[in-house]
Amino acid sequence: MKIRILPSLLIIFFFLIFIIFYKGLKNTNSYTPVTNSKKLIPNFSANLFKNEKMISSNEIFKDDKFYLLNIWSSWCVPCREEHIYLIELGKKKNLDIIGLNYKDKKKNAKKFLLDLNNPYNIIILDKNGTLAIEWGAFGVPETFLIHKKKILKKIVGPLNERSVLEIKKIIK
Amino acid sequence: MYGHKVKLRFLFIFVALTILALTTFLILKSLEENVIYFQSPSDIKTLNNVKKEKIRIGGMVKESSIEIRNNEVNFIITDLNNELNVSYSGVIPNLFSEGKGVVAEGYLKDKNFFVATKILAKHDENYMPPEVKEALQEK
Amino acid sequence: MINLIGYYSLIIGLVISLSIVFLSIKNLRNSEKFDQRITVSIVTQFFLVVVSFFSLILSFINSDFSNETVFNNSHTTEPLFYKITGTWGNHEGSLLLWLLVLTLYLLIFLFRSKSQPKDYKIFTTLFQQIIVIGFFIFLIKTSNPFNYIYPTPNEGLGLNPILQDPALAIHPPILYLGYVGTSIIFSSVLGAICADQVSREWASHIKKWAVTSWIFLTFGILLGSIWAYYELGWGGFWFWDPVENISLMPWLALVTLIHCITVFEKRLILSSWVIVLSISTFTLSMCGTFLVRSGILNSIHTFANDPERGLYILIFLFTLIFLSILIFIFFFKNEKKELGSIYWMSKETSILVNNWFMMYFLSVVLLGTTYPIFLEVITSDKISVGPPFYHKLILPFLIPFLIAMAIGPKLKWIKSNLKNKINLILFFIISFLISFLIMSTIKVKFLFNTILLSSAFYLFFVSLKDFFKNKINNFSQNIAHFGFSLLILSILFNNFLSKEVITNLKIGESFQSKDLKISFESLNQNTISNYESLVGKFNIENSKGDTEILYPELRIYNQPNIVTSEADIKISLWSDKFMTMNYVNNQEYFNIRYQTKPFMIWIWISTLIITIGGFTSLLKKRHEN
Repeated sequence: MKIRILPSLLIIFFFLIFIIFYKGLKNTNSYTPVTNSKKLIPNFSANLFKNEKMISSNEIFKDDKFYLLNIWSSWCVPCREEHIYLIELGKKKNLDIIGLNYKDKKKNAKKFLLDLNNPYNIIILDKNGTLAIEWGAFGVPETFLIHKKKILKKIVGPLNERSVLEIKKIIK
Repeated sequence: MYGHKVKLRFLFIFVALTILALTTFLILKSLEENVIYFQSPSDIKTLNNVKKEKIRIGGMVKESSIEIRNNEVNFIITDLNNELNVSYSGVIPNLFSEGKGVVAEGYLKDKNFFVATKILAKHDENYMPPEVKEALQEK
Repeated sequence: MINLIGYYSLIIGLVISLSIVFLSIKNLRNSEKFDQRITVSIVTQFFLVVVSFFSLILSFINSDFSNETVFNNSHTTEPLFYKITGTWGNHEGSLLLWLLVLTLYLLIFLFRSKSQPKDYKIFTTLFQQIIVIGFFIFLIKTSNPFNYIYPTPNEGLGLNPILQDPALAIHPPILYLGYVGTSIIFSSVLGAICADQVSREWASHIKKWAVTSWIFLTFGILLGSIWAYYELGWGGFWFWDPVENISLMPWLALVTLIHCITVFEKRLILSSWVIVLSISTFTLSMCGTFLVRSGILNSIHTFANDPERGLYILIFLFTLIFLSILIFIFFFKNEKKELGSIYWMSKETSILVNNWFMMYFLSVVLLGTTYPIFLEVITSDKISVGPPFYHKLILPFLIPFLIAMAIGPKLKWIKSNLKNKINLILFFIISFLISFLIMSTIKVKFLFNTILLSSAFYLFFVSLKDFFKNKINNFSQNIAHFGFSLLILSILFNNFLSKEVITNLKIGESFQSKDLKISFESLNQNTISNYESLVGKFNIENSKGDTEILYPELRIYNQPNIVTSEADIKISLWSDKFMTMNYVNNQEYFNIRYQTKPFMIWIWISTLIITIGGFTSLLKKRHEN
């Protein structure tokens, strides 16, 4: 009898540990950005960069195509680095790039675009940083891929070869 | 009824089990005393009373909130809903900067003020501590 | 092309694994002699894994960015050395290295155990192949190092700069030699149970493996610790971080096993205990892999996390655990008992007592590391367990542990009376007096630390005395114990006497306290191949008027964009001077940390002495044979 009890206890014990570890694995989903996706974009209205006119989010994202919302600023060094990728993506027909100019001086921003070219179809202003918070952004630069008012993908930090490849794959 | 050897054996098993139980108790007890709970600024706002125990606060360093002096650093941790003022003197990790995720360990003074004894950061540019990510997403 | 060669080598290697399993089972039933085809297959398998590994290295050297692993972890501007070491600086490559070591060990095992019984050899091969197959599938299915990217990117993402360091370049291979060495112990113990070979000969045969893996593991941990000391810029050597704990657990299990197996070799007692320990050494290594690779734990240096990988290792790990439990229960016959009573005053009792202490340390570390996972699953609270927990639970028990370590080797097997009692007591009084004198000059928790220090001194003196008595019979044990006492002493003094200053300074400013003055004199900027470097010049003047100039550095890497601080350390025999510098974006202040760390170098030296103890025991064994 004694011999049978001990092993079964052992096995039950390890089985319990297995279950706990298994559940623990499920918990770590918070590591992957997937949980953040498929969220609806926030409703907002903002001033346009070129003429300070008000525009609402419904007007910006009205078409049935892909949008890339890119949060940038002229004082942000990584934004300069990611700019070539934006220009590359700007050549895609089914993708509109929306720039969100974050806490920037208009003079500097204009010079930035003159130096590096302008890949943005529309640029909106976020002078005090409230819009970025509404989008749940962690910092600058940050990029959202949007389709039918849903956030498909969010890239924290500058774009790189890999994220550009992923974006191209999605919009194919 | 039982032989000397059997009795000895029972004694041995009994002693071993007692020691095992005692150590388990000891370990669990000190675990309870030494764990550090993780909270977000919003959790702090909903607290009823401020406890004198060590906790970790996670969130984002608010833009243009860092203020450095010779012997201390002050900044604001935000989870985009609520904010908490932090004062810290000690080693600042490489990746500590405005707009990035941060975890601070220390004691609450009151619901708006936190004295940090340690700032933690992972050595990875895109790293967001998982707790912070979760705290930021919960909103 | 190279990618394809690497990939198909892996696939063929897996197929060969299956054929080895088939051949072994057939060989087990049919013949009396060991089938040479098994040896040939194992050699071929090893060769294929080597080919696969070298093709990955070649892709790294050529910066072939059509390979996803290379793309993610390399960059053309990196120096050649780091291109090569980058091969195992990532999840996929390190797993391939793991597999390489696994097959290498099996090969060495076969060649070194020619005289062992046939059944035992086959069973061991079989169990080792089960592990190998597990890793093959894991590698091919969830973390293929030869994934293809199209179109080929022009530039890679770069190796994480904190990994671009000589100590860390060789740290993983050495650590893996230790970790994976335990797999042979695991397979061999299961093989020995199945073939009913748990005997003296088996014990002395497997002890060499245990000592070898222990040496590599110790050395690997040492390298990691040195790296953390100068690269992470915290100025410590052990942080009780989960990843560190994970390497400590198999280490503790191995130390226990080595002691226990010695008892078994001499007296044929404790056989179940030896088996349980042998199984748990490998299980703990695997458990470590699981915890690190799955991202279930929160640590400062985990690999990229992927729950799918975690799930795979988890299932694999528990399959092995259940398999070994079942084999242990159903096949193990505990018959060969050399009877004889166990006396309190004997070498085996003292070893057993210290084994229990070691098990206690192990469970403290294990529970401390995994408790956050359990708590999060059960109550969804997020917590972390800090160093105070470990200190509180481990330090008090170090005292009897150290004393037993000093007295134990003096006892004889079976039954003994302590000779030289007066001598031993005298030594203790001397150590206590020394500690008392030292501690009264330092202002820390007095009573406890005095006793702790005196027990460390006690072990130090006792083993030092034995050292000069020229009793060669226990030379390796003596060296290892001496090294351990030195390690504890240096850690204690390091803790008691370390001083640090943390302050924020602008260029040109200086910090003044009552015993030293730190002036930030200038800042130099240089551009070096793949990073930009900022070197600060600091002048440190102590109260006696001695000055020292330190140059801590900040490196701003371009790809990936990361800032690392390189500490400037002035090493001397008695004390290290350690300085790091840091900056915060858009601020003119630099965060400065200056530390004096006494006896730092002795921590490394004593660990080396401990490993030398291991080496000499290997040499001695060969000499006797």
